[in-house]
Amino acid sequence: MDKKKRHSVKKIMARAGRASLFLALSLLFMHHQLTAQRKMIQIKGSDTMVNLVQILAEEYMAKRPGAAIAVLGGGSGTGITAIINGTCDLANHSREWKTKELDLAYEKGVRPRIFAIAVDALSIVVNERNPVDKLTMVQVGSIFRGEIKNWKVVGGIDQKISLYGRQSNSGTYSFLQEHVLNNKNYSQEVKEMNGNAQIIEAVSRDEAAVGYVGVGYLLDEFGQLRKGIKVINISKDENSPEYSPLDKNSVYSARYPISRPLYQSTSGKPSAAIADFIKFELSPEGQAMVEKEGFFKISKELMAANEKNLK
Amino acid sequence: MKKKSWNKKVRGSFVCVLLGIGLFLSLFMPPVLAQQKLSATIYFDYSYYLTNNGPITTPPPEDSNFKNNYFNFRRVYFRYDNKINDNLSFRLTFDGDYVKAVDASGKKDDKFRPYLKHMYLQISNIIPNSDIKIGMADTITFKLAEDRWGYRSVAKTLLDGYKDIAGEDIDATSADVGISLTGKIARPLRYGLMLTNGAGYSHPEGDKHKKLMGQIQLIPMAGVSMVGYADYEKQGPGAKAVTYKGDIYIEFIRNLTLGAEYFIYRNDLNLQDTERYDRSGFSIFSRYNLIPEKLNLFARIDRYEPSNHAENDEIYLMIAGIDWAPLNSTFRLQPNIWVYNYTDPLKKNDVILNLTFLMTF
Repeated sequence: MDKKKRHSVKKIMARAGRASLFLALSLLFMHHQLTAQRKMIQIKGSDTMVNLVQILAEEYMAKRPGAAIAVLGGGSGTGITAIINGTCDLANHSREWKTKELDLAYEKGVRPRIFAIAVDALSIVVNERNPVDKLTMVQVGSIFRGEIKNWKVVGGIDQKISLYGRQSNSGTYSFLQEHVLNNKNYSQEVKEMNGNAQIIEAVSRDEAAVGYVGVGYLLDEFGQLRKGIKVINISKDENSPEYSPLDKNSVYSARYPISRPLYQSTSGKPSAAIADFIKFELSPEGQAMVEKEGFFKISKELMAANEKNLK
Repeated sequence: MKKKSWNKKVRGSFVCVLLGIGLFLSLFMPPVLAQQKLSATIYFDYSYYLTNNGPITTPPPEDSNFKNNYFNFRRVYFRYDNKINDNLSFRLTFDGDYVKAVDASGKKDDKFRPYLKHMYLQISNIIPNSDIKIGMADTITFKLAEDRWGYRSVAKTLLDGYKDIAGEDIDATSADVGISLTGKIARPLRYGLMLTNGAGYSHPEGDKHKKLMGQIQLIPMAGVSMVGYADYEKQGPGAKAVTYKGDIYIEFIRNLTLGAEYFIYRNDLNLQDTERYDRSGFSIFSRYNLIPEKLNLFARIDRYEPSNHAENDEIYLMIAGIDWAPLNSTFRLQPNIWVYNYTDPLKKNDVILNLTFLMTF
């Protein structure tokens, strides 16, 4: 090797060395974040479930010193996407996986395990001044599709209906669309809110409003119905009796027609730490907290399916 | 003069009233209807040449101020999405890049200018499990590879960046005007078809010929994809251009993505001594999530062969780096190193260090 070449190689080596040092220092700087983050269980998804799972997580962390759980909302779709992309450990979702999501999971080699942790009675709410007390499933569907536009058609006053709903990444949006709107499109007039709390707030201020929320959002911290809203009783059809989502017996007996399980998903078999948290949620203590938060316990059948998925 | 000042006052009050009304309306108007979303992606680099004797990094003898470290704003995307309903949506994307222009007086500049990248209508499920895009939309040529590579902010994928690296055109564009149909036949079998004008989004259509693209994605097991792609465009009387491409993606290992792609481009107009020569390329890439959404590693090796008839024209490019989100995923720092190696014994390596800044909202 001639002198010139040796000098040039030396120069390159020195520069590459500096670059490596820079990269190594960057890694070192990130190291503490890395170790801290690795231990934390990241949960993302359903806005309907975010408060419930946060409370369950807080209780779990109080009982297991050293456990760390972060719970974020964003909607069921966001949670499921995060599980597919490997950016969370547990997805909260208030609807089942869509075919497109299952296709994408298959493509990415993700085999979801699904656990039902609670039951929700999807609730239709109106302003407290609205004289309408009950609706059939067909009427609810027609209202949110924009086919019924005036409250007088369903026994209310002559007033244009003001619709409040969620964005399409919400599981509640998808569940209502599939089970009540017969998979047809929502009206263009629906004002899309970021979460259940915003719907409650909007409905309480708008006399012509109707919205849909998870049952856990109906009551305040004292167990009283939130101010300014009224919960609509729902019947399967004109000839059936109507039921309230606040009536435990009608939900547990499946007479209330729009109830649904609330799920969590993992990518493949859950790790020991995640399995332990799920077991806590499914324990009698966890299920008592579910009820305290206004939701309902899961059935024996769902519990048996959960246990199978934990293995 | 008095009249002028009075006019000014009236105009000022008028503006104040308008602002007041605007503020009032913005506070009490209901939220926007339909699902509309504005988003943006911005990335720029600080680059530093670690060598000074490769084809890229050698300072020209006459230029003592040769640029061997610099800031480079590469892309700004402003995107507007409107979901009309679950089966109908449209997208508008403005792309920002350095675009050379000459004004009427003949003055030249290369300002960072916005131009249209996407403007399409998407219709879903007319054919079950399918999406149709009409307008200026992403081509199907390297969308799958780009999704797997995931670091467009650092480097384009093999076909997309071929001209930048090898200096030779292979007629591949990321977006074009036309119509596409993508969907699935069964969970393990997906397809894509596209008919475009062939000139890409940055040029108006220059001839009567259209470009036809087709793709089949086979997923024999969860997390393993094999993709076959071909495109065809007539170039003129008796001449055609075709691209054949094969990709493999492995994604079943948690937090790890591996990908490989190979292509060959044949254009009857590419002649050397009356004989057609072909261009080809090969790329292997991987990324690993150390902490999802926080800290990732990525690496890639590409091989570019601009002509199968030329000796020693191959270029190897190695890229490696770190993707770090120090605060949250909207702001990322991506230090990365590029090593160019040339088979031509007269060309020495180029080594370039980049610090890429990526911002999204």
